[in-house]
Amino acid sequence: MPPSEQPINELPTLAQTSLSLIDTDVHTALNHMDELKPYLPAYYRNLTLDLPGRAGFLSPIGVQRQDAIPEEGGIPGSSVSMMQKQLLDAYQMDYAILNDSSMLGISVHADANYAAVLARAYNDYFAENWLEKDPRILGCVLIAHNNPTEAAKEIKRIGGHRKIVQVIMSSASRSPLGERQYWPIYDAACEMNLPVAVHPGAECSGVANPFTAGFPTSYFEWHNNLSQNYMCQLNSMICQGVFNQFPNLKLVCIEGGIGWLPHLMWRMDKNWKALRFTVPWLDRQPSQCILEHVRLTTQPIEEPENRQHLLQILEMVHAEKTVMFSSDYPHWDGDCPVHGLPRLPEAMKQAIMFGNAQALYNL
Amino acid sequence: MNPQSRTKHIVCPVSEIPPGHRKIVTINGRSIGIFNIDGQYHAIRNACPHQRAPLCMGKVTGTSTSTKPGKYQWGKDGQIIRCPWHNWEFDLTTGKSVFNPNQVRIKHYDVTTEATSNQTKSSCHVETNYSEPELEKYDVGIEQMMVVIQI
Repeated sequence: MPPSEQPINELPTLAQTSLSLIDTDVHTALNHMDELKPYLPAYYRNLTLDLPGRAGFLSPIGVQRQDAIPEEGGIPGSSVSMMQKQLLDAYQMDYAILNDSSMLGISVHADANYAAVLARAYNDYFAENWLEKDPRILGCVLIAHNNPTEAAKEIKRIGGHRKIVQVIMSSASRSPLGERQYWPIYDAACEMNLPVAVHPGAECSGVANPFTAGFPTSYFEWHNNLSQNYMCQLNSMICQGVFNQFPNLKLVCIEGGIGWLPHLMWRMDKNWKALRFTVPWLDRQPSQCILEHVRLTTQPIEEPENRQHLLQILEMVHAEKTVMFSSDYPHWDGDCPVHGLPRLPEAMKQAIMFGNAQALYNL
Repeated sequence: MNPQSRTKHIVCPVSEIPPGHRKIVTINGRSIGIFNIDGQYHAIRNACPHQRAPLCMGKVTGTSTSTKPGKYQWGKDGQIIRCPWHNWEFDLTTGKSVFNPNQVRIKHYDVTTEATSNQTKSSCHVETNYSEPELEKYDVGIEQMMVVIQI
């Protein structure tokens, strides 16, 4: 039986403890794609494994923190012990939800069959090499949203694992994520009682669309545009009635920023008053639907000239219910669990640092 | 407003507002639109609660409901007015907005029709160049139905 066919053993129920810190976006990394080969069917083991590349704007400063290179060698994010030392132990984390953001590019690969096979192989690799290594480590079902049928199967295959807490997929796409072709993914996620997370990184790669105005000219310009794509994806999912069709679905917008959300909510609400009849399944203000169904992670937290303005934005998006802390360890633009956020009101701080994640992921 | 303090205002003969039509009048300085929906009259204030646009100048149409994403049911045809500025929908029969009927609404007035006796002199006179007894004249009373609004 190939490894991918082996059932993943159920773990005992996670202990109910008093929590203080849950990190909702932590990154593993493969030192080399060939690490997946043992988990791949024979045909694919004979390929040169690769992911869709970007057109000319790779990060000139690298993506990984230079101080996170493992003591035993390899790239940052490739070592369990380094992650334990530098993140889980250092900040006394209760849980960290791990994903490999570079793998998200499978969703914008032109070959959707290859993408689905890679997702399956990665999930098996992750379960064996990460998920069981530390009780604080939680994981995601990686899926390729360009192959919704196989993605739904994968969610059902591995989504029942006690330490798998959400589905994760690329925020980049060939067409907006509210479209019906993706609905088998949302259906399967609801069946397995898992939120669906989107994470950036593959924008402008592979068969993904450029940003709305076109292709950026630098990594800087590309990175600044990421929140724009989140606006488009969320807008699509709301307008096409994804949350009306799947009333139990939760969407987690990882690493997309927060400051754009008040604007989008208010603009949608205003237009909805006139154009509601074109989307009559939206039976309440779009902002209400967003606040109920969407969760945001903090990193990269906006750093306005006046930090009080960030607090005001957090109030506008009802952060006490919608925002979850994330560090993005070990990436260059990560936020420190201690120093990353401004001083917050105590109730909001507890909700952001662990409460909202605890509730969303049933921890 | 206390119902007792309302006063009746005769607006016009019913023939001036046939079904599907409207008439905008000013009563006590207030601009009010009167609409005939399939023979029933309804009146609303001609000032949208949003930005005070002339609401009654908007398109009279219907609206949609849905049981699931992608499915449309058209209804209330001829009963919904869209503000000409921002296209907020209001139900002409209640004054309630479609998007938030309990909190966003336009003032709605009761409209009735009443028979009103309107004394009009009518005569027939033929000029001749010879003397002839004058024709007899009668006063004729024409009763007609009038649109009446209570404000």
